[in-house]
Amino acid sequence: MSGKSSREARREERLQAESQGDSEERRRRLLQIGSAAVFLVIVAVAVAVVITQSSSDGGDTSLEDVALVEQELQGIPQEGLTLGEKSAAVTLFEFGDLQCPVCKSYAEGIVPEVIDSKVRSGEAKIEFRNFAILGEESVTAGAAAIAAGQQGRGWNFLDLFYRNQGIEASGYVTDDFLTEVARGAGVPDIERWNKNRKDEAGALRLVQRESEEAQRLGLTGTPSFVVAGPGSDGMEVLGTPGDAGTLERAIEEAS
Amino acid sequence: MRAPAEGTLRRVATFAATFGIGVATYIAIVEAGGGSPICVAGGSGCQTVAESSYSHLFGVNIAIFGIVGYVLLLAAALLRGDAARMAGFGIALGGFGYSLFLTYLEIFKIEAICQWCVASAVLMTLLFGLNAVRMVSYVGRPA
Repeated sequence: MSGKSSREARREERLQAESQGDSEERRRRLLQIGSAAVFLVIVAVAVAVVITQSSSDGGDTSLEDVALVEQELQGIPQEGLTLGEKSAAVTLFEFGDLQCPVCKSYAEGIVPEVIDSKVRSGEAKIEFRNFAILGEESVTAGAAAIAAGQQGRGWNFLDLFYRNQGIEASGYVTDDFLTEVARGAGVPDIERWNKNRKDEAGALRLVQRESEEAQRLGLTGTPSFVVAGPGSDGMEVLGTPGDAGTLERAIEEAS
Repeated sequence: MRAPAEGTLRRVATFAATFGIGVATYIAIVEAGGGSPICVAGGSGCQTVAESSYSHLFGVNIAIFGIVGYVLLLAAALLRGDAARMAGFGIALGGFGYSLFLTYLEIFKIEAICQWCVASAVLMTLLFGLNAVRMVSYVGRPA
């Protein structure tokens, strides 16, 4: 081989090595970009989760009894504003007004007793219906409870509202108060809840219909209880019994 | 372990992206008509998820973003070269990250599972895996 062709061969080899080096360098750079993208996406997902978490946490709530309500209702199925097994033969209806102080005392004493003795066991289910007699704020509150029920947190909302109830028609039923109750009740999608509670044809209309039904049944005050089951003659009005035992007996007779 | 041939990765990615377009298009069409996807196994999870505020981003149904993502992934699977490898990886990574976030929302925030969203998340995970292997094994190499 002549000196000239040997030089050319060496040059060729050098160029090839350089081109391979360039290609490796380019590959390394692209892989670095890929790794950086993975890192960025991990950070973005973590930030999104933290932001979503903090925007809907019960967090710094000033509400009372958030944990107690959660504990009281734990493990009991609920749908809408009905608490208890769907298949329960007897339904106890409570017609209440969220602003009514007597309803609050029932929610803290008599109703939990009935829930423990008859609802938790699957013997009966209890359905809350609005009987809004204390003004516009009762309608607003009732619709908010219905909207919470649409996300499976209706009874948590009712119970927490009662336990943090203010003085009737004093203007305490504000958007902020309702939102705090909804968050404390564990309503998962506050934006959807806000939309649903203001729905004229939905939740607000339902409060009105339920209140009309209470009047048709001849109820005169809140809370009023009605029972229905295989042993009852349709919807039997129980009125406002002063103890849990009367409600429990009515459930037994209706079953 | 030897990576599968790039052609195989691209073919599987083509199928997965096509299925993804189908799933996202179904959700978008049903929701555009005011309904919600039908959960094949029953239950109301799909309706709950569709009605949640998380089903829209900047006022646009997220299924629309899904369609765009899958179309881009299909294009990346059909094309050769480093640009397609990097683009496929980047889009699949973004889609995978977003799917993770949506799954978190379904489980912990919306408290309902939509089978169609799960199907999309599985496809996006598969596409991420395929595009990651394609990128790591073949980027910087001749097409």
